[in-house]
Amino acid sequence: MIAATPEVAKERRKPQKINVRILRQDAPGKPQYWERHQVDYEPDMNVISVLQKVAAQSKTSDGSAVAPVSWDCGCLEEVCGSCTMVINGRVRQSCSALVDRLLEQAPEEIELRPMNKFPVVRDLMVDRSRLFRALQRVKAWVPVDGYYDMGAGPKISRDDQERDYPLSQCMSCGCCLDACPQFTKIELQRQPNESEDDLKKRRNEAYDEGFVGPHAISQAMLFNSNPVGKNMADERLEALMAPGGIQACGNAQNCVSVCPKQIPLTTSIARAGRAVTVYALKKIFDR
Amino acid sequence: MTSAQPSSSIGSFLHRNDFLVRRLHSLSGLVPVGAYMTVHLLVNASILNGAAAFQKNVNAIHDLGAILPVVEWTFIFLPIIFHAVVGIWIASSGKSNTAQYSFTGNRRYSMQRLTGYLAFIFIFVHVFHLHGWFHAQWWLSNVAEPLGMAQFRPYSAASTLAAAMTGFVWPIFYAAGIIACCYHLANGIWTAGITWGVWLTPAAQKRATVACTVFGVALTVVGLSALGGVKTTNIKEAEAVETAIYESRVQTGEIKPNEHKRAGDHHEPKLPVPEIGQVIEAAPISGNN
Ligand code: HEM
Ligand code: SF4
Ligand code: SF4
Ligand code: FES
Repeated sequence: MIAATPEVAKERRKPQKINVRILRQDAPGKPQYWERHQVDYEPDMNVISVLQKVAAQSKTSDGSAVAPVSWDCGCLEEVCGSCTMVINGRVRQSCSALVDRLLEQAPEEIELRPMNKFPVVRDLMVDRSRLFRALQRVKAWVPVDGYYDMGAGPKISRDDQERDYPLSQCMSCGCCLDACPQFTKIELQRQPNESEDDLKKRRNEAYDEGFVGPHAISQAMLFNSNPVGKNMADERLEALMAPGGIQACGNAQNCVSVCPKQIPLTTSIARAGRAVTVYALKKIFDR
Repeated sequence: MTSAQPSSSIGSFLHRNDFLVRRLHSLSGLVPVGAYMTVHLLVNASILNGAAAFQKNVNAIHDLGAILPVVEWTFIFLPIIFHAVVGIWIASSGKSNTAQYSFTGNRRYSMQRLTGYLAFIFIFVHVFHLHGWFHAQWWLSNVAEPLGMAQFRPYSAASTLAAAMTGFVWPIFYAAGIIACCYHLANGIWTAGITWGVWLTPAAQKRATVACTVFGVALTVVGLSALGGVKTTNIKEAEAVETAIYESRVQTGEIKPNEHKRAGDHHEPKLPVPEIGQVIEAAPISGNN
């Protein structure tokens, strides 16, 4: 009787090996190609520990030796966002993607792809600088211009705290951007004789024309609610109304569905929509 | 590689004035286009009350007389063309990914674009089919009518509609067009509520979804019943009613005689009327379906 508990039955079904399919790319602008790997199963693995085994073996499932696979990670506890990739078709953090859970959904194989909307640096590593550029565009910070002790800040009401705290949990991972149908990939190739600085300048100009993205809209709302951050509220709204601003959102609401921090992005988007409506009318009639 | 670089100069103009253009697009979808479409379907559904009731409503519109084309172009055609052109530009600026992410919101996003394209085709053909787009004589007799278009005659409203809707190809086309437009408007009201910041929280957006669904379903029922009303109209009886109304209005001096606005004027041979079956056979519109 005891031997037949579901736990034990599940334990018996644990595989010996895990199959992994990885979409690789040797360098920026190079073609992508699939590669299959097989690693030993261990209890309680996450995708990072699978990747560590894959890299240590550096051998495909049919035995040919390959270069170690590259990926990014940092905190290993879903707070830095750097390990984001597309796992079994869904964008998420690889550190918090547990292998046992993935195998329950699809026992045959784990599929790993780099994020769709950012330029690939190598294999599963992408360049998310556009995401940070967007935060600069909307001035997602509190302006403080010195080290003086300014005394205690203004009180923030309980309601405002409850509205704003969830927004402050954004870890700049880019899941929302990767899933957004209105956020399309911008990737520039270095031109012959172009310096790193020139390329960066050209890249930033291209990024500044593109959609800022839901994360930046949400951060703009967060800092526009902050008692000190408010001082730059109009500048943030101007940034949201500039080309590629909030108006580029098409209300697909994928962003809110994939955000690992469950940030109410579509509420932020609607709040920003309301704020720019009011601001635009003010600009017309308050002159 | 970059999708941010607008390719054409129109594209770059639209991009530089992104915010204004998108807000005008949203507004134009609601008023006048959405509001007009709602009224249009309601008026059409009055055909269910008979040819006389329908004729009265059509008369009320056509009593605008000489300024009707101005009203049509400023409040209906131009806003639709603006909304449609910008809509196609918007639709081409995104990249649907419903295969990867099959969330309801994402499906609605794709459907909004798909129904936009369908509405574009439908409205273009529908206006040509019944209205003709332009009422200049050379256009009507050299282009529209030889193609079997410009079928509607305002003083023979129900009968010309019924004659234009014989067979099953046109009615199916109209049913599909009505359903697409109603979905597009109902879902568009929901997205516009987010665009302008009317419903903010997920709970509010859910309630708005319910309200928009009710509106959309109701409008679809109205639109399809209008189509049903047209299909069940007896052409011969309708013509008799319309002739009586026409003659009495001419007699009281309310309108000037105008055979162009009545059935059969441009058509040779004239509509023979006796049997309904024959009307369908002999009607000169048969060339197009
Ligand atoms: C019966 C005619 C039409 C009506 C009543 C209508 C109405 C609307 C409304 C109310 C919206 C919501 C605007 C917003 O989200 O802020 C909308 C959006 C849209 N319409 Fe139309 N529309 C019509 C025809 C068309 C046509 C012919 C196209 C051409 C493809 C089109 C393409 C679009 C697109 C792409 C959107 C989404 C805009 C966005 O999400 O930002 N529409 N429409
Ligand atoms: S709601 Fe807007 S920002 Fe979010 S996924 Fe959809 S289009 Fe992108
Ligand atoms: S809003 Fe959510 S999905 Fe987007 S970057 Fe922040 S944490 Fe990631
Ligand atoms: S390593 Fe930091 S979120 Fe995964």
